[in-house]
Amino acid sequence: MIDLRELILDKDKLYPLLRKLKKEARLIAPVKNDHGDTLFTTIEDIDTTRIDLENQPQESLKPFFLPQQETVASYSVLNGEYTFTPPEPAQDTIFFGVRSCDLTALLYMDLIFSKPAKDATYYDRRNHSLVITLGCNQPFDNCFCEATSSGPYLEYGYGLQFIDLGDCYYVSAGRGRGADLLEKWGYFFREVTKKDQNRRYQLFLEARGQFTKNIQVTHACQKLQKETVAEEIWEKLSQRCYDCGGCAYVCPTCTCFSVDDMPQGRSNGIRIRSWDACTSSGFTRMTGGHNPIDRTRHALKRRFLHKLKYDFANHGKASCTGCGRCVDICFGGVDITTFIDLFTGQETP
Amino acid sequence: MTQNFIPEQAIIRKIIHENEQISTFRLELTNKNLPFTFLPGQFLMLSVPHCGEAAISISSSPDTLPLIDLSIRKAGELTTAIHSMTEGDQVGIRGPFGKPFPMEDFANRDLLFIAGGIGLAPLKSVIDHFLFQSTTEDNAAQSITLLYGCRSPADIAFNEVITSWREQGVDCRLTVDEKDSSWNGNTGLVTELLDHFKTSSNTRSLVCGPPIMIRFVIARLSAMGCDDTSIFTTLERHMKCGVGLCGHCHLDGKLVCLDGPVFSLDQLKKLDVMEFSR
Repeated sequence: MIDLRELILDKDKLYPLLRKLKKEARLIAPVKNDHGDTLFTTIEDIDTTRIDLENQPQESLKPFFLPQQETVASYSVLNGEYTFTPPEPAQDTIFFGVRSCDLTALLYMDLIFSKPAKDATYYDRRNHSLVITLGCNQPFDNCFCEATSSGPYLEYGYGLQFIDLGDCYYVSAGRGRGADLLEKWGYFFREVTKKDQNRRYQLFLEARGQFTKNIQVTHACQKLQKETVAEEIWEKLSQRCYDCGGCAYVCPTCTCFSVDDMPQGRSNGIRIRSWDACTSSGFTRMTGGHNPIDRTRHALKRRFLHKLKYDFANHGKASCTGCGRCVDICFGGVDITTFIDLFTGQETP
Repeated sequence: MTQNFIPEQAIIRKIIHENEQISTFRLELTNKNLPFTFLPGQFLMLSVPHCGEAAISISSSPDTLPLIDLSIRKAGELTTAIHSMTEGDQVGIRGPFGKPFPMEDFANRDLLFIAGGIGLAPLKSVIDHFLFQSTTEDNAAQSITLLYGCRSPADIAFNEVITSWREQGVDCRLTVDEKDSSWNGNTGLVTELLDHFKTSSNTRSLVCGPPIMIRFVIARLSAMGCDDTSIFTTLERHMKCGVGLCGHCHLDGKLVCLDGPVFSLDQLKKLDVMEFSR
């Protein structure tokens, strides 16, 4: 997909633009809270909120499209009638300051939630969303998006992509609503000069040169199509997995869930969908106690094979976006990069 | 857009007490205009008030639609709750889901059904379908044999159905692991019934029961010379959605809800599955 339109936004015009956007839809952007955590937050008052574009948001966009817990239906049992009602419709939302890895993850989720039928609540939110990304000029410590082809800049998928050129943003519009926005608020922008283009390209090359982690993602994916992972690797990883689910929690592409009823009274309740993790022991355990997965040896097998083997085979791309959050969070040190390192080091028989 | 988590309302028309643990719930959709059909081997996501959903295979044949039978063993919260419901009560259903048995491959075959306990439920759908067809029809089965094993005589389910099957010419052979004073039939594992059975290249075997039983029966059938493409089983897994999203029923890159629950041994051998470790 080609950028339909490119313009420059001087930095002093950013807040005036966002003020306009906030009138059109709910605006969500990264904000550093009192605890020092940078989290995607609904902007209530743009004049008193400082949007944090320096730090990596601790969570991805996942919670806004597949909330940690959401109502998929409410039910009632009244006078013998057992009926279900769909949830409230989604509201228009503009996300600002989203990193390339997290938009790539959202595009993956689009794929997952479209088969075999479009998931109603996911697509309702998705159809009411516009994502404005910010390309990364400086990768964070654990990032490896270059190895997963999901950054540091993007070529498609966004509503708008912002690239920080120092005193201004280089803004590219994607198809649809992003281009409409540029059209509508054109008076905030100025035309791109040759100098801006050169600056953008130079920053892109510099960003690519600053990754400290060298993770052989594609090599691991290709090797997995041909070779079996040694049992010792699975066992070694499992020994250090403490079933906390942290990796699945922060992962922007972990979309497994559980569905349960939550009674709200004798005659009514809600059916909720909540995050679940294949690393947890209860994930595959059946009524009666039989579990087809031996957690002591294979706690992490599904997680890594799904992302690197099956998704690569099915979609031609791993479903890891190199965001590095699992590297940050895993206190056992058995994140996806550990697996890739161990497996790519495994001798080919 | 499809409200993919909104079940359809169904009414319990009849409850058939199969044994102390198992009952068959005969359901009918309250909205009679809804197009609903299924094939033997498919399953439904069943909703019971306040208990969420569970994947349950359909035990009746499509020939008796609009009635749909679910034969359910009291095991967890939902399955225990439905056992306290009565005729006229309502449940919710979504589906049907999953790949059915390859019925077209079963025409003119000698069908061998091997079941353990509640595992007879999904196979019953196939047997009933073939019995519904007249024996003169082109796609009728050549012969139908059932080898059915249960823990004890009291655990035998579908007694009335089995009696009726026998009357219709099905060779039904039963065995129990532990006999009591009421039992004068076979004692021992269901695999032992295979000692006196001969299979041929025209045999198609359908196996369902506890994982350990499936494993040993399949090994035995293979040893008797049955081809991998002639042995079928239906797998049970923890499931939360039925539509390939929740991830719980993962099976080495496949999902039981979409790619199964019916698998041929040939398909399973290509996968890393605990029951059939390579």
